[in-house]
Amino acid sequence: MRRVPAVVLFAIGALTCVGLDLAYDGLVSWDRGSKFWLHILVVCAINVLGATSLNVVNGMAGQFSIGHAGFVGIGAYLGGAIVSNLALALKIPVAALKDNLSLGQSFLLLPVALVVVGLVCAAIGFVVGLPSLRLRGDYLAIVTLGFSEIVRLTVLGISADSATNPLTRAIASLGGSLGYRGPKVGEDYLGVPSVAGPFWTVGIAALAVFLALRLKRSGFGRALRAVREDEIAAAAVGVDPAKYKVTAFVLAAAGAGVAGALLAVQRDGPGIVGPANMKFDKSFEVITMVILGGSGSVSGAAIGAVLYTVIFYASEEALHQLAQAVPAFGSVDAAALRMTLFATALIVVMLVRTQGLFGERELFEKKADDGTPKPPSPSSDDATGTAKEALAS
Amino acid sequence: MSDDLLVLDHVEKRFGGLKAVSDVGFRVPRGSIFGLIGPNGAGKTTVFNLITGVYRADVGTIRLRSAAEGGREQELVGKAPSAIAAAGVARTFQNIRLFASMTVIENVLVAGELHRRAGLIGEVWRTKHAREDEHAVRARARKLLASMGLADVEEAPATSLPYGSQRRLEIARALMLEPKLLLLDEPAAGLNYGEAESLKAQIRALRDEYALTVVLVEHNMQVVMGVCERIHVLDHGITIAEGTPSEVRANPKVIAAYLGEEPTSEGEGEAGGESETAARPEAKAP
Ligand SMILES: Nc1ncnc2c1ncn2[C@@H]1O[C@H](COP(=O)(O)OP(=O)(O)OP(=O)(O)O)[C@@H](O)[C@H]1O
Ligand SMILES: [Mg+2]
Repeated sequence: MRRVPAVVLFAIGALTCVGLDLAYDGLVSWDRGSKFWLHILVVCAINVLGATSLNVVNGMAGQFSIGHAGFVGIGAYLGGAIVSNLALALKIPVAALKDNLSLGQSFLLLPVALVVVGLVCAAIGFVVGLPSLRLRGDYLAIVTLGFSEIVRLTVLGISADSATNPLTRAIASLGGSLGYRGPKVGEDYLGVPSVAGPFWTVGIAALAVFLALRLKRSGFGRALRAVREDEIAAAAVGVDPAKYKVTAFVLAAAGAGVAGALLAVQRDGPGIVGPANMKFDKSFEVITMVILGGSGSVSGAAIGAVLYTVIFYASEEALHQLAQAVPAFGSVDAAALRMTLFATALIVVMLVRTQGLFGERELFEKKADDGTPKPPSPSSDDATGTAKEALAS
Repeated sequence: MSDDLLVLDHVEKRFGGLKAVSDVGFRVPRGSIFGLIGPNGAGKTTVFNLITGVYRADVGTIRLRSAAEGGREQELVGKAPSAIAAAGVARTFQNIRLFASMTVIENVLVAGELHRRAGLIGEVWRTKHAREDEHAVRARARKLLASMGLADVEEAPATSLPYGSQRRLEIARALMLEPKLLLLDEPAAGLNYGEAESLKAQIRALRDEYALTVVLVEHNMQVVMGVCERIHVLDHGITIAEGTPSEVRANPKVIAAYLGEEPTSEGEGEAGGESETAARPEAKAP
């Protein structure tokens, strides 16, 4: 099989994303029709980004974090705030900001916002990763959960009247339990603009999967897995567990933050960022995606995220259709139905396939443990040679 | 003054009320094969854990000397295990610690991390440096695996190997660090007479080929007496003897320790559970 140059792949990928974006723009009406599915593509992509980033810390590094939603939430608030204020500063008309922005306009707003969000969340990830140097397993999990709850409760707990200094005023401006709706324009709130279409979401998710695969296959990824398997043995061969674990947290946090920002400013988005984004069940959702797909497998986690999202919307749509045919179904709570579905799926996975759909392997990757050697990687042509020589001598 | 690579001075380690190692000191000459023996629970593995930084010595110093006469000395006490490994100290573990979910060659490749120039971004970007280094590290890993007789199982999961191969894989992984000092914790455990003989030859060959200094913890006297140039004997965490193999073998304190206070060289030596050929210093050494 000939290798396609990376530049060509990137070009094809970018063009596809632009095409999707324009297609999205072209589908005008929101009618549970084709645009509904294109919108699901956007949500899929954001979830793929969330699962891919969580997989770095939970799957590759083996540090069980259940506070991923904390980073997603920070990214959502920060991304929403930057984009809406920047849009006003750039004098994009308020009327235009109420509607989906064009791909061109998104280039004015998103690069800055995503870079800032990525860097800020990376820094916070560093701090949250520090306890991983002393704590493991359940204890570390509790710390990460504590982090996301602290963030959520901070946003919830500080109201405009109790804000006395610039910091608390800034937090109060996030809207507490009502959610963040952008800065005030006249009497009304601007609302968080709808900026990120398929170009950004699918593009960034694909890039994240690509980078995560490369990370996993690099020496760094190998060392990360070694730390997961045995910290003492890893340290004994010069791999500093602290450095690798904290780096995993930093990378995961940056990815989660960007996912959150995209969530906040997605096309046909809610226009509002609520504290519910940071609730434990959001973290649990991402964990479900990773575990369904296969913890440690990049493609597995991504496919887990897609499956989760599709089932999520398909069950809703199915219920909607069903309720129209049989009115009695109108009273079924979609969220409860969903929870039941995913809980069942998780139980089945735990019983039948503990390692998830893919285990630690990647899509199209052969099993290593069936005795047959893996297909040689591009750089390993001399491998068989050496082995043969050794056998011959 | 002799040229010593490793110098332990008055080293002490307590676990709660138990003094696992007390006032132990020895010097390991550069390029030598040095034995560290003693009955079960004597503190041998603990000494390895102190040298490699898994535990921190409560008292005493552990120094690593560079080659040049009057050269730099590095204090190892207080350093992180990974830093001590980077300083050139590699080890194997008594109860094998391989990276379970990884293949044989991946286990060795991990130990090549130190010798890479590219950082995280360079590796993900696959810069020229990163690709060159990966290539070099792989080539070296293959060579080491081949020299340990593991060339044909490179891609097998590490834990699928038989016990003896897992021990050799641990040695290959340790050598990947390009260490100055190699600490082997019971490499002969579970080997039969023939295998133990070839292990002896292998340890000598490794020392010569890679210019190593070896410290060997071992119960198998056939191996210890056959391969070590000097031997240090611990019992209950205390040094009871040091000398050449013949000196140690003749030392009444050593015999007593191994035979349970019975100062005869005959009789049933109740020396400790794991290995029977093991525990007797007077056991046949070639
Ligand atoms: N982490 C620890 N916590 C408490 N006690 C320990 C610890 N590690 C070792 N010990 C104790 O220290 C003493 C020395 O143990 P060590 O493992 O060093 O012995 P050893 O000479 O290697 O024995 P063996 O030949 O059985 O391997 C033993 O009494 C052991 O129980
Ligand atoms: Mg021991």
